[in-house]
Amino acid sequence: MPDPLLYLQAMGVAAIVSASIALAMVTVWRSHGKSWPNSAYVLAIGFGIALGCHWLAFRWQWPPTNGLNRLLICVLPGTGAIEMVAGCSTKLTRFAWLARFCLAIAIPRILLDGSVYLTPGGLPVLEQPLAGIYLMSGFPLAGSWWLLNRLSQRAEGTAISLTIPLSLALATLCAGLSVMLAGYLKGGAAAFPVGGTLLGTVVAAWLVSWRSDNQPAVLRPSLVPPAVVSAGVVGLFGLLLVGCAFGRLPLGRATVILLAPLACWGPEWRLTRNRNPWIVALIRLILVAIPLLVAVLLAKREFDRSMAPLLGAS
Amino acid sequence: MRKFASAWILALVTGSAILASGHLAGAADEYAYDLVHSSVSFKARHLDISWIHGRFNQVEGKFSLDREDPTKSTFELKIHADSVDTGNKARDEHLRQPDYFDTKQFPTIDFKSTSTKAIKGGYEVTGDFTMHGVTKKVTLVLKGGKEIEWNKKKIVGFSTEVALKRSDFGFDKSAIGPIGDEALIIIDCEGIRN
Repeated sequence: MPDPLLYLQAMGVAAIVSASIALAMVTVWRSHGKSWPNSAYVLAIGFGIALGCHWLAFRWQWPPTNGLNRLLICVLPGTGAIEMVAGCSTKLTRFAWLARFCLAIAIPRILLDGSVYLTPGGLPVLEQPLAGIYLMSGFPLAGSWWLLNRLSQRAEGTAISLTIPLSLALATLCAGLSVMLAGYLKGGAAAFPVGGTLLGTVVAAWLVSWRSDNQPAVLRPSLVPPAVVSAGVVGLFGLLLVGCAFGRLPLGRATVILLAPLACWGPEWRLTRNRNPWIVALIRLILVAIPLLVAVLLAKREFDRSMAPLLGAS
Repeated sequence: MRKFASAWILALVTGSAILASGHLAGAADEYAYDLVHSSVSFKARHLDISWIHGRFNQVEGKFSLDREDPTKSTFELKIHADSVDTGNKARDEHLRQPDYFDTKQFPTIDFKSTSTKAIKGGYEVTGDFTMHGVTKKVTLVLKGGKEIEWNKKKIVGFSTEVALKRSDFGFDKSAIGPIGDEALIIIDCEGIRN
């Protein structure tokens, strides 16, 4: 049965662990540059998610046998590895984007491995509601990954850029709730450690950046590390794909949740862009929250109609 | 010369027929699972006060029975997990999800025998039982095995029950909830000789 307190605890553990590791690593070895903090954030994200999932008594299996296992054991560490290499030098930017694009295209194949979708004689892919995701999901993922990275660089160093990881954390938590309300408890629960880790790492990055105000801009660590954006986008996409393919999350709702963080681009037009940063940040968060709220309310309505009588909740 | 050739051909055909019949007498009889007259059902405790019943509507299998050497008999059963039916559509949908059978990832529940021995009134069959991606050795006591002829078909029937713990097969413990961990699987099957 769902245990909201346990999910909140897992989220708290993930946030505290990731923030502590990131702060400890960056403080113990103060280097001038962005490479070391970036590696620290990647490791902090990894430990945060792992310990948060451990709190939920998640069963780690090798080789991973289901989509959620493959997301947590293969896809997210793979993303971390790419971000760690990408953070080593600015000369690797093109290589990093090539690697990110390849990973984005490969993720649906990895997550659906061994399932009826890829088994000869199994479900015909084109007759499935999943067809849209399976055939085209890699491109929207790569696209939203690039757009959110670009946006975080545009507002680099200002409070506005913090809205991107916050939006991703919010979308991840809403994805988790929607997957749970569609009947897949474990899949939805995994969103809490991921969301908590994003929040914890961003807090750590903000503290590190605040302490490095006296450094030149080129050497100052990023306020929003690319690793956080990547972990957020990939984690969100993976949870939604697993919820759609193996659970009963409707494709339309999953698409809305996946694309909701892109609403951060909304206030980028001339009239609003140069307003007070806090107002711009607030507009961004409101624009992201509206579709997410609608998606969760629809999921709740559907749950009340089909699942609640079954569980004796109403 | 023609007489000699005819006798040679006759001898060859007769010899082959004797050899073939001798081979068949020693071979195991092959049976196909008869879906129409068989069932794989289960029941599990609800709140520890009553039982919830269900069945799998799509099952296939085959078995071979060697009456002279029962240890050579084999049994195979493939249950399509997607066909779970508890008489409640919403609950069936819920059972297909990854917290339970995860039918998109693990579409079938399989049993394949590895050893068989004859016992009084049937067979004791040990084999690999694979459910939810986890394989465990399970021993089934099959009652029956008597062959009858009906409507020009040779039919054999078996019945068995086995208790399994869902948690042993990787089912999520937090999702077990009000339904008991242990489920009793009841298999009644008929096989038609090929």
